[in-house]
Amino acid sequence: MSPLRRFLRKPEAVAGAILLAALVAMALSAPMLFPGDPQAIAGPALLPPFQDWSLPLGTDRLGRDVLAELFYGARTSLAVGLAAAAAALAIGSVVGTLAGFAGGLVDEVLMRITDAFQTVPGFLLALAFVSVVGPSLGIVVIAIALGTWTGPARVARAEVLSIRERDYVAGARVIGMHPLAIAFREVLPNALPPVLAMSSVIVAAAILTEAALSFLGLGDPNRATWGGMIAEGRAVLRTAPFLSIVPGIALVLTVLGVYLAGEGIVETTAVRRGLS
Amino acid sequence: MNLLTVSNLTKRYRRGGKTIAAVDDISFHIEPGETLALAGPSGSGKSTIARLVLRLIEPDAGHIEFEGNDFLALSGAALRQRRARLQMVFQDPLAAFNPRSTVARLLDDPLRIHGIAARAERPRRIAALLERVGLAADLAPRAIHEISGGQRQRVAIARAIATKPSLIVLDEAVSALDVSVRGQILELLLDLQRQERIAYLFISHDLGVVRAIAHRVVLLEAGEIAECGDARTVIDAPQSAIGKALVAAAPRLNRTRP
Repeated sequence: MSPLRRFLRKPEAVAGAILLAALVAMALSAPMLFPGDPQAIAGPALLPPFQDWSLPLGTDRLGRDVLAELFYGARTSLAVGLAAAAAALAIGSVVGTLAGFAGGLVDEVLMRITDAFQTVPGFLLALAFVSVVGPSLGIVVIAIALGTWTGPARVARAEVLSIRERDYVAGARVIGMHPLAIAFREVLPNALPPVLAMSSVIVAAAILTEAALSFLGLGDPNRATWGGMIAEGRAVLRTAPFLSIVPGIALVLTVLGVYLAGEGIVETTAVRRGLS
Repeated sequence: MNLLTVSNLTKRYRRGGKTIAAVDDISFHIEPGETLALAGPSGSGKSTIARLVLRLIEPDAGHIEFEGNDFLALSGAALRQRRARLQMVFQDPLAAFNPRSTVARLLDDPLRIHGIAARAERPRRIAALLERVGLAADLAPRAIHEISGGQRQRVAIARAIATKPSLIVLDEAVSALDVSVRGQILELLLDLQRQERIAYLFISHDLGVVRAIAHRVVLLEAGEIAECGDARTVIDAPQSAIGKALVAAAPRLNRTRP
């Protein structure tokens, strides 16, 4: 049975994929459905949802279209989540591969640096980094990656330690391959599957961290973010709770979707590797 | 002049506070175009010697002279360059290749690393190498796990001869193959030796195969040389206890003896 068929037989994985597809559709269609600036005033302030069909989810305290902000927020969440996870996985697997393959002093130094990063809570690190350097999308991505690369680094190192004893690594040395070429061409690609298996958790965590930073006012101020929307709505939580509830639900569904779809992919590919 | 001279080679391992000599003061030499077999039971140090000679592990004492140079003195780029002349074929051809690679990539690596052929010329060289070891050239794009064990060992030999070495270490290179394929691979090795004058360091526990391919044999026991000499003489009339035990353990030999 093909991996795709196995994936489709898992209802939770399919649900996750549908949620994720909806998120991607929102992110991609935002500039077409809402060509203007999502942060521009679109109508009367604090319009409740389902009253005016040109503004289906109503407006916030400043009269901004909540639905438009929600769509543009999906772009931010997805971009930051994927970019931060990709950066964390890339840094982690390179550091882990170098540490595991080189051994000795290099391993010792790299792993103590990893320890140092791991002792500081990831969110605190991101918070400190953004407040020092200043909020912008790229900085938020780096800040989140700084706190999450240690996990992939440890997994990659453990995998590399077992792979470097294999015969094909000895074979590559015998034909005179450079140690760096052996590490990155022969060892790293074979160490990746368990590292990539962590990506769904990392993407979900990165989306939540981005929302938390935005909630604290440390997101990119020029972009609509779900965390920023929740923070906005907090001031009028008693009179207009929908302003916080709507982006909150979007955030929960997104994290759930990423996690379920990611787990589904990991499980189906793990079965395939087990069989071969 | 000797191609390879190994003198007083020693490798010790510490295990639980005790020091065990896996290879203990071993000396031997190989002449150009000659096959020297290292035979002995498991744990006698055969594979350790192979890995020491290839500089995959470092010895605790001893000298290795290869093509008139001190092989142990080389390091870094000089060592990598020198490796072109000293190649290896492993026992399990599936474990010896990156599971993601294709036949073409495996043969491309040595040609690229040692600058033997320009990029544009390499596909032709790869096809020629495949033909040289008796494989079809259209095998090149196949993944390494898609071809049979015998074909894989032929690819391993093609990879080893790509850099035109003077010595190939064969570590149990035919032990994992079934009997009919084993015969064909041994034929190929003998043919290559006749044409290219490649010397072999042939490591095996199977004295039948050793008798068929080796000129001289060194019998090892617990890291020391138990007996050495002309392959047929030693195997037909072993003097050492371990030699007698190994010959007795190979019933085919007893049957074929007149």
